[in-house]
Amino acid sequence: MKLYQLVVKDVTRRKKRVLYASLGVVIGITTIIAVLTIALAGQTNIYGQLEKYGANLIVMPAISDIDIGLGGLSLGTLAVGENYISEDKLPEIRQIADGKIREALNIEDEGDIATIAPKLYMNTKVNGTSVIVVGVDPQEERQLKIWWRVSQGKYLEAPDEALVGAIAAELLRLNVGDKITLNGREVTIAGILEETGSNEDYQVFVPIETAQEAFDKEGLVSSIDIRALCNACPTSDIASAINENMPGVRAVAVKQIAETEMGMLEKVSKFLFALAAITLAVGCFGVVNTMTTSVHERIKDIGIMKAVGASRNQIMKIFFYEAIIVGVAGGLLGYVAGTLLAYIVGPLIFGGVAVTYVPQYFLPSLALATFIAVIASVYPAFRASKIKVADSFRSL
Amino acid sequence: MLEIKNISKVYGKGTAKVVALNNVSLLVNDGDFIAVMGPSGSGKSTLLNIIGGLDHISSGEVILDGKRIDSLDENALVDIRRGKIAYVFQQYHLISSLTALENVLLPLTFCGANKKDQKALDILKRVRLEKRAEHKPSQLSGGEQQRVAIARALANDPSLILADEPTGNMDRKTGKEILALFEQLNREGRSIVMVTHDPEIAGYAKEIVVLQDGQIVDKINQEGGNKC
Repeated sequence: MKLYQLVVKDVTRRKKRVLYASLGVVIGITTIIAVLTIALAGQTNIYGQLEKYGANLIVMPAISDIDIGLGGLSLGTLAVGENYISEDKLPEIRQIADGKIREALNIEDEGDIATIAPKLYMNTKVNGTSVIVVGVDPQEERQLKIWWRVSQGKYLEAPDEALVGAIAAELLRLNVGDKITLNGREVTIAGILEETGSNEDYQVFVPIETAQEAFDKEGLVSSIDIRALCNACPTSDIASAINENMPGVRAVAVKQIAETEMGMLEKVSKFLFALAAITLAVGCFGVVNTMTTSVHERIKDIGIMKAVGASRNQIMKIFFYEAIIVGVAGGLLGYVAGTLLAYIVGPLIFGGVAVTYVPQYFLPSLALATFIAVIASVYPAFRASKIKVADSFRSL
Repeated sequence: MLEIKNISKVYGKGTAKVVALNNVSLLVNDGDFIAVMGPSGSGKSTLLNIIGGLDHISSGEVILDGKRIDSLDENALVDIRRGKIAYVFQQYHLISSLTALENVLLPLTFCGANKKDQKALDILKRVRLEKRAEHKPSQLSGGEQQRVAIARALANDPSLILADEPTGNMDRKTGKEILALFEQLNREGRSIVMVTHDPEIAGYAKEIVVLQDGQIVDKINQEGGNKC
């Protein structure tokens, strides 16, 4: 029988006590794991939404509202600028975007790199119902909207074809092969998209040239989506280069929008994490407390062990081994309880976010719990080792 | 051989001062079997604790095999407890969460010995408890618990056994069995110092030392008459 075997035997016969001792660690680890798991789920959720958004950059016409006033008298506002961007600007935008990506990734490929998808948004009535018609470049749009699935029919191919969002098709009672008129121009429904959960479900997509002709907007687009195709791509640099070199347009990196949302999440996470850390610290005192109680309860046993030849080091080791068992048990229970808590609370905080357990947190939670239990046992173990045999028997 | 020279033990200070032992000297030769008798509070248990290094003395000397042990630090005392001296207590002082066998293994474990289960079993056999090896102390009678405690004391093969009222919690018949065991250990050459207030129990010893108010008032050699 080795010393650790002695402790294991002893502990397995006092399971309830050990569980009670580990309660402080369990509560601390539970909150930390729950907070981390929920925060990670929130982050994954935001990234997922961004990924679904497709574009890394949006280029829009630069419209600004200028307040007009005479002295202190307001005369309203005046919109300055165009509502559309000229198609002529597309090559220049491509040049800037591809140039920046080449620079960042250090590649010399001459071909097109970024996906540049111009769009023309028009409001019109189909069969008496108001819908948004979106003129798109079929090939570029397909690369941008990688999640698109055609549920019926086929994707856009010819100029007189249209692709209808799932809900729009339902509302307008459209089937593949039906013909609709857009501002006097007749197109055939080539396909219907699967539901995506975004406003695309309500839209009708036609090739951009068709939309331009139908609505007399030749050579004009409403906005341009740019997808840089890599996570490390310098989207902010591309945006500022476009803003500097091209008057009349305004480029915004989607990341900037995301960063605002992420920043908020980070603040909330930090706050929760601070709370969790305090819980853990309180739990730490709990462990000190239960360990001290354990020493007190076992003064007689410690005296006996010393009387039969235990050294001070061995007594301390006994308490440290016990602390390791308490820590491992606490870390294990805390990980499980924290993950369960995240599964329950996560969807309440982030509105239906799918929380997944994080196996990478398992070993760190064991390590942290053990570390805390051992640290919390230093003083009680030291006190235990100082107990004198004669005193321990006298106190009975 | 253990020698106690002019030891005194004082508890407390000032008016609360209690003199437990006052200038006591005693010689324990190899193979001795000494019973320390006296009324409650006469200093019997204190004397035993001091002999075994469980308690500190206020003045005097304790010499074990030619070496002073009264001023030794904890670590040096650990060595003595692991080899030369073992204890048997009135309350048995077994560890309640461990089985009889594990209690006997305990001193061997602290010694760093491994895989000594057979040795522990052999010792349990000596006290005729091999069939109770897997029982917890709470499942054993008082006499059986004391036999486990004696087996534990024998684990490290000590030359001196210190017993504090070893039969204090037992009926007469069980007490005699325990004493028979002590006599047997004494015949093997182990020295025994036993505290008791029971004259019949003390009658098993070769020598009786009578303590009163912290002083030795009488020494009776039962093998060859009164020494004093």
